[in-house]
Parts: sequence; structure tokens; C-alpha cells
Amino acid sequence: MKKAKTKLVVPCRSDRSFYGDGIPGVKPEELAGKRIVVEGADGSGRSTQIASLVEWLEISGHATVQVGLKRSTLVSEELERAQDGNILSRTTLSLFYATDFADQLENVILPALKAGFIVLADRYIYTLMARDMVRGMDIAWLKNLYGVALKPDAVFYLAIEPNDLVQRALAKTATLDYWESGMDLGLSRDLFDSFIEYQTLMRMAFRKLQKSYGFTIVDGNRPVDEVNEELRKNIEAVLLGK
Amino acid sequence: MASAKNIELPGQRTSLKRNEMKTFAELGFPGRLIAVEGLDGSGKSTQIYLLKRWLEAEGVKVYFSEWNSSEIVKSATSKGKKRELLSPTTFSLIHATDFADRYERHLLPLLRAGYVVLCDRYVFTAYARDVVRGCPPTWVRGIYSFAALPDITFFFKADLEVSLNRILDGRPKLKFFEAGMDLRLSTDPYESFRIFQGRILDQYLAMSSEFDFVTIDANHRVETQQATVRQLVTHRVDFDQFRRNSPLPLPPPVRRNPSTKSKPAFEEPEEDSAA
Repeated sequence: MKKAKTKLVVPCRSDRSFYGDGIPGVKPEELAGKRIVVEGADGSGRSTQIASLVEWLEISGHATVQVGLKRSTLVSEELERAQDGNILSRTTLSLFYATDFADQLENVILPALKAGFIVLADRYIYTLMARDMVRGMDIAWLKNLYGVALKPDAVFYLAIEPNDLVQRALAKTATLDYWESGMDLGLSRDLFDSFIEYQTLMRMAFRKLQKSYGFTIVDGNRPVDEVNEELRKNIEAVLLGK
Repeated sequence: MASAKNIELPGQRTSLKRNEMKTFAELGFPGRLIAVEGLDGSGKSTQIYLLKRWLEAEGVKVYFSEWNSSEIVKSATSKGKKRELLSPTTFSLIHATDFADRYERHLLPLLRAGYVVLCDRYVFTAYARDVVRGCPPTWVRGIYSFAALPDITFFFKADLEVSLNRILDGRPKLKFFEAGMDLRLSTDPYESFRIFQGRILDQYLAMSSEFDFVTIDANHRVETQQATVRQLVTHRVDFDQFRRNSPLPLPPPVRRNPSTKSKPAFEEPEEDSAA
């Protein structure tokens, strides 16, 4: 009988810090864990990929924690309500999301990293920045705002052509989400057209961000396993500090 | 009234340098914004209330906006405060969210429509308070850079002891954040409040000349202060440009506690924005 493998990889320490001044009083060198971010539009397969990564990481002996958008104790409910009514202007919505992010950063991400967990983020500041950029917010303003954010060890952007994305979204829910279609922007009265146009703008915003933040673009329009294989390879390298 | 074409809408990041930041008048807005700043207990809310009453009586289109009063954001803020969930960063961001909501939904359209907007606390409150809490000054100013500067900012400067006593005499139970207890300055709320307010005062004084604060000696009698305020407003604002044409004034903002509605603002509102 084959002997079970018990030798585990201990992730190297991160030497990465905050994008800006960070959170008052937090020393990046105390954060032993790793930060992995998966970005991509709804329907790009983010959640499936993350679930599979968690499975793999835990079997490999790593403790994990997951975070995402609109999950903070502080403002998630209010944010949900505000969005339902579509009553907030762009700066307000932007700051509301930033508050949600900062709350999770301080109460979930940082403590987990101190304890040596691997944090998997189902979207991070880049989605928030891209959405705001599409709505005309200034990139320098956004960079200053998200100076509180920690630099991840790896960021994967699951890229999918808007035409493929619309197929996936419709196959999943048989309708298109108001916000994921950017209906608040008034690009088109037609939901389908608006979705395509908005997702094209989002892709352009991500490309712009990719230049400053240097994340890995992964072709999301492939079988789930193939994409996961690529993510695992990259994450393995990150854990070993390569 | 200026047409929309002449108005330069403030960008998100105009500049962080005072000489490159603009007031609403400088941006070509037909309306004017008057802000009051000062410590809790400096009497600023009383003064702006009296200013509002006078302007209304003069037939001027007036709107009053209070710090930390956006309906949708407030529920999150009070939850955060009650359960002590707020860190300096989230404290700062949630107040910025509140401000942005009032700014974009009320202040900007009203100023476009030629109102005189009165603000009980403006961005300077955040500049002072968030920095005392340890947030980097450039970060805080950067966040609020979407807002234009007030056309007049009155700073009510009372002796620290006078402001402290006004608050501490009337309202012995201090709230956690109001007393700055999150800063761990002292285990005694009163002592903590004193140190905290002292530091905020230092911040106000440091930015007073940078932002052309009109300093009012808040140790004087209510009427004396109000006379100075009215004199300056008359001097700087031509009422004829802001006359109300419609017989109906804008309804007052909805208040949480109806019992305080009719009460004149002889003292700070119960839950000052402050905390």
C-alpha cells in the first residue's frame, strides 16, 4: 500500500505590503499568510474555481479563509438595500463599497493573515476600481482611496469575451443582472445590449488596471479543470516563493 | 442665474493644495455654501440655526444639512458605533460615505439651483477627527477631494474648558467614539474626551488660516456672536440673488426624533454627528 504523503509545503513569508499608507498600526511583516485574489465578471467561473482551490489547499494542509464583496458585518445589509433602490450616487456607492472592503480587511483578512491562513478573495479592489472607472471616477482618487489595501501575492483575472459571458449568464439564471449589465449607466435601454457594452467597458478598465497592478490574465473560456490546473500551478509557485 | 454651461463641476481629485482647491462661487455655482466648524459644545449648531431662521425670514432659499445624517448610511454608522465595530479607517470611510450621499443628492443640486446651503460641519471635521484617529492626512484629504470648499467657513473657537464643560455638565454619559475611547487615551471617558477634544482643537487651529476660517469667539454671548455672523454673511452674500420665488419653502429635513423638532437648538443636538 502506498504511504500517504505527510510532508507539507510551508509557504514562504510574504514581503508584500500595502498599496499606500495602509491601515494605521498594522505592520505588514506580521502577516505570515498568503493572499490570493480571483477576479472576473459574474459567470466567469470565479466561485467554482475558488471552491476547487479551497478543496485542494485544505487537502494540502493549508488553512484558508474566503472573503468577497459586500460581506462585511458593518455595511453589507445597508449596501444591499441601497443598491436595491438604486438611490446612491457614484461617489457614495464607491465609498460605501470601500467601507465594506476596509471592514473585511481589518476584521477578516488581517487576523487570518497574522494566523498564517491563506486568504482567497472572490474579487478584490480591482473590480471596485474598474466599476468606478467605468462610471467616470478619477483613477488617482481611487488609488488614494485603496491605499488602505494589502498587495496580494497573486491576482488572477478570469478573462471571458462579453459574448461568451452573456451566454454563461443566461444559461445560469435565464436573465441578466441589472448591475452586471451596467443599467445605471444608461448605455442602452436594452438589457442585452447594455450588458455587452458594459462588460466591454469593464474589460477595458481591467486592462488599464492590469498595467498598474500587474495581475495574471487567465483565459476563462476553457474547461473548469484546465483553468484550475493553471491556477494551481501559479499558486504553488507563490507558496514556494518563486 | 448662471447657466449650467458656466459651471465647472468639481472633479473627484481637484487638488490637495488649498490654493488649487475652489469654492462653489469660484466654480461658478449660483448657490453659496456656508459651513460651521468647531468642537462639540462650541455653540456652532445654535449659531447656524439662528442664521437659518434669519435667512428664511429674509426670504432667502436656504437648506440646512447636518453631519452624519444621510438616511441610508446612518443605520450602518449607528450599528458600527453601538457595537464598537469601527476602526479609524472604517470610521473615516463611513463618514465620507455619509457626506458623499448628502453632497451628491442634496448639496450639489441645491447649489446648482441657487440655494444658500448651511452645513453643520463640513470636510474639516473629517480632516481634524480622522487625522487625530491616526489616518494619514493626505489619504483623508484625497478622499474628500470631490467636494468643493465652502464660500464661508465659520470656526467657533471657545476655550477648551468652556466647550468641555458645556458638554460634560449637560450630558454626563459620553458615548464610546464621542469620547475618543477607541484611541485608548485613557480608561476614564471624561479624561479621554478632554484629551481627544484638545487634539481636535489643535488640528482645527492648524488649518484655520489655510482654509480662511472666519473665527468667531465662542466665549461671547449668543447674540454677540450671531451679530458678527449676520454681518459677515450680509457682506459676502447678496440676498437678492437668492430670493425664494415659490411661496413654499423646502420642507425641513426629516429628523429621527420628532420630539426635538420644535425645540430650539440651544444646545448641541442629542447625538452630535460628533461621536
